[in-house]
Amino acid sequence: MARSTHLGDLEELTLLAALRLGPDAHGGAVRDELKREAGRSVSVSTVYVTLMRLEEKGYVRSELGRPEAVRGGKARRLFAVSPEGVAALEAQRDVRAHLWEGVDLEGDARA
Amino acid sequence: MPEPRRPAARRGPDGSGPDGPPQWAIRLAGWRLPEEVADAVVGDLEEEYRSRVRPEQGRSRADLWFWWRAVTVRRGALRRAAARLRATRPTWERNRPHRAALDPDPWSRIVPLRDVSYALRRLSRSPGFTAVAILSLALGIGANTAMFSVVNAVLLRGTPAAEPHRMVEVYTSEADGFAYSTTSYPDYVDLRGGTEVFESVVATRSAIARVERDGRAEVAMGELVSWDYFQTLGLDMALGRPFLEEEDRTPGTHPVVVLGHRFWTEQYGADPGVLGRTLHLNGRPFTVVGVAPETYRSSFSVLVSSFFAPHMMANEIMAGSDLDQLGRRGSRSLFVKARLRPGVAVAQADAAVEALSRGLAEEYPDTNTERIMSVLPSSDVAVHPLVDRALVPVAGLLLGVVGLVLLIACANLASFLLARAEDRRKEIAVRLALGAGRTALMRQLLVETVLLASLGGAVGVVVAGWTLDLVMAFQPPIPVPLALDIGLDGTVLAFTAGVSLLAGLAFGLVPALQATDPDVAPTLKNEGIGAGRSGRPRLRNALVVSQVAFSFVLLIGAGLFVRSLQKAQAIDPGFYTGPAALVWPMPELSGYETREEQGQLMRLLEEGFREHPLIDQVARTDRVPLGAAIQTERFLLPGVPSTKPDGDHDIDNAVVAPGYFETMEVDIVRGRAFADTDRLGDPVAIVSEAFVQRYYPGRDVLGMTLGRPGRDGGHRIVGVARDTKVRTLGEEPRPYVYVASREGFVVDMQFVVRGRASAPELLAAAREVLDSVDPDLVLLEAKTMNEHLAIMLFPPRMAALLLSVFGGLALALSAIGIYGVVSYAVSRRTRELGIRMSLGATARDVVVMAVGGGMRLVAVGGAIGVVLAGGVTWALARFLYGISSTDVLTFVAIPVLLTGVALLAAFVPARRASAVDPVRALRSE
Repeated sequence: MARSTHLGDLEELTLLAALRLGPDAHGGAVRDELKREAGRSVSVSTVYVTLMRLEEKGYVRSELGRPEAVRGGKARRLFAVSPEGVAALEAQRDVRAHLWEGVDLEGDARA
Repeated sequence: MPEPRRPAARRGPDGSGPDGPPQWAIRLAGWRLPEEVADAVVGDLEEEYRSRVRPEQGRSRADLWFWWRAVTVRRGALRRAAARLRATRPTWERNRPHRAALDPDPWSRIVPLRDVSYALRRLSRSPGFTAVAILSLALGIGANTAMFSVVNAVLLRGTPAAEPHRMVEVYTSEADGFAYSTTSYPDYVDLRGGTEVFESVVATRSAIARVERDGRAEVAMGELVSWDYFQTLGLDMALGRPFLEEEDRTPGTHPVVVLGHRFWTEQYGADPGVLGRTLHLNGRPFTVVGVAPETYRSSFSVLVSSFFAPHMMANEIMAGSDLDQLGRRGSRSLFVKARLRPGVAVAQADAAVEALSRGLAEEYPDTNTERIMSVLPSSDVAVHPLVDRALVPVAGLLLGVVGLVLLIACANLASFLLARAEDRRKEIAVRLALGAGRTALMRQLLVETVLLASLGGAVGVVVAGWTLDLVMAFQPPIPVPLALDIGLDGTVLAFTAGVSLLAGLAFGLVPALQATDPDVAPTLKNEGIGAGRSGRPRLRNALVVSQVAFSFVLLIGAGLFVRSLQKAQAIDPGFYTGPAALVWPMPELSGYETREEQGQLMRLLEEGFREHPLIDQVARTDRVPLGAAIQTERFLLPGVPSTKPDGDHDIDNAVVAPGYFETMEVDIVRGRAFADTDRLGDPVAIVSEAFVQRYYPGRDVLGMTLGRPGRDGGHRIVGVARDTKVRTLGEEPRPYVYVASREGFVVDMQFVVRGRASAPELLAAAREVLDSVDPDLVLLEAKTMNEHLAIMLFPPRMAALLLSVFGGLALALSAIGIYGVVSYAVSRRTRELGIRMSLGATARDVVVMAVGGGMRLVAVGGAIGVVLAGGVTWALARFLYGISSTDVLTFVAIPVLLTGVALLAAFVPARRASAVDPVRALRSE
């Protein structure tokens, strides 16, 4: 069974946050970014579940960074958005843009 | 603000640092998470924790927050996500934290500790299985290690030397053709200067001396060696220096000694200050100049020499027993070793020494006719060419026997692991279905089996130590104080490690391959349970069949040797074997230097024995038959031609004093026994019946004179004695000549005393007498008659004991195997048995059926065993006394024994089948 290529709301935001963060995208940073820039407050666990789901779909790849003392000697797992991930984001944006095209908020509201 | 409530010591011993979150919370979180993301998640939490710690608030709020996160971390969701990722992205699993970067232990990369601890947990969960598995292997490996140690010590180790390929042994042939005998000192000197093929030539002979230290005297074994002995071998002294050339040039002038390494360690506590001290050998002071290399034990691999002295001190150390051996060309007791010049081939050296010895034969025809020297590479000689010929088959037999035991043990384990793998199929199928890697599973199974094998090997080394102690307790009862050096050395440990690893891989691989068969669907659907796939039970059955066959062979061997021992013990040696004590004093080692003094001592001792209230009879002789030593004398027999150049015959003989025939209960069938007057008159002799049979059948030998080559006169025959066994229990009657001991010709004599007391009491009485005459008298031997007879019974007794032990071991291991198979079959057929019982089968029918399944395998194994045993036992024939290798009793008794044990092993688990409750059996699954 082919897996869904659909991007959920949180998945889309997470992907965008990871793109913004670039090479520093790890769970904690993504979480902070989501809170600061999108006003979405989620737990670290949720960020990871989301990232892993994205990885399963092939939209991000992860690798381990260096162990750091500030993390109790533990390594970061760094996530990078794959070309497929970028494509999925663009497709999502195009769908929305397409849908927005036929929308006249002011006209509708008045009508 | 208040101090942090939590003491800093509560956390941070392992890297979280003094400002990290609570240690237990970290553990909790880490434990709850899938390991691939545990570090990432917990690390992120720790980073955030640090940003939350406010210096003015202390850390209690942050701690609380962290605990909350640890508890509420979304365990289920993360685990599900991780499992899906594992299944869809095989490479993702590799992407787990690089523990090696934190942990310097490189092992964790090769064998992840996770696998080891998992295997340990699994093994400890079924302690019964684990114990049986480890014990089986330990017994197999232990037996192998012990026997390999013995063989290694005797046959494989050899004398150490630098550039060993250039070392050769030089032997002188006997006149009668045996090629590998010892060499005389004068011949050795001629050899040393007489060829160009050797870089150097050295000689050694063993010597026994009384060593005094701190007022205690003991008999020790040492060697007389050439001054450049250790230099030629290319070995460095452990301490001090080797001998100097001038110390081995003139007889008796340089009393210097080199200590054996073990003697130095044990007697002097490896004290480096030993150099320059004095050691008394046979009462003479010797100066210690060095300590021999640790690797050098003695010129014979199983012995350990305590001291070394130059040949020139031979007459001082050998005392009266072999006077002037340095000067006599006919006195051959040296073992000669030589180092080839670079580029010289062994064949070249052989030709050179042969030419040299032919020259010596022409020059000294009296002593050297037909004495040809030859060369063998040292690497081809283990102990001595003659001894090797006898030892190699024995060693082969022993290793074969313990090899079979190990095979049986391994079959047991393979069988167990197969059954276990079967039980785990479902678990493994689930894990495979969830995306576990096949290699990871294989690795885990292999880790488990290798772990079992290593534990078995480790326990096996302990078992081997015990076995070796047992074997060492059976030191051959010979008079030389042996310092056998058999230990579990590095080679042996490597061998064990190899065996256990091979065993682990061999019996771990098959189950592992089968268990990870990727066809998981039928297992998950419960197919294959009950009916089973025919392949696997067949493999287990084959294992049991082979176990039974191998045990059968071993038991037949054991049975043959036990029967042979019985036969040997029943043989009548032809002389008195009741309670008696044998004592062998050594006057020349005890300060009695002249023949007069020695003769006086022997008379005093004999009188003392006769006066003791417990002692009735005393015999004095230089040889009690059936001892370890073979003793012959050259006699000229009137009218009997000989092939030897001097026309003489080598005949077994003994020198005996009057009273011998009465004490030893050897009947005189014609003529008379020796009388006291024979001590002084003309030399007289008594011959055995076999002597008459062989050389003078149907003739009267009384009054005939036995000549001696190179001497005038001879021994007049005054009587004929009944035959006794002389060299071995199994021999045909052997010609034997008793010569009367005479005044003034003292030889080494031992006493046999009898009386109205047990042998140990007689031995104590004899010691009392010895002490009353001279408390410092050195004894070569003091033993009971039974201990003496044990010399000849030693090989059959040893063989019977070892084979019985190993045969019993094999039987026990096979019984475990049979038990396992039957018990497993019963547990798998519970449903079928339930159906049968509900259809009217009785408990008895069910038991008979289960036992019958096991016994079918035993029958097949037994049949194969009979064929194998028939093929193998002919090789044992040469070791057996008085029975044939197809001894009927053995071939009847052993199958009965095996069948009985097998029935029991099958019956115990089969009984459980009868307890099956049909209703429950049908409901299950």
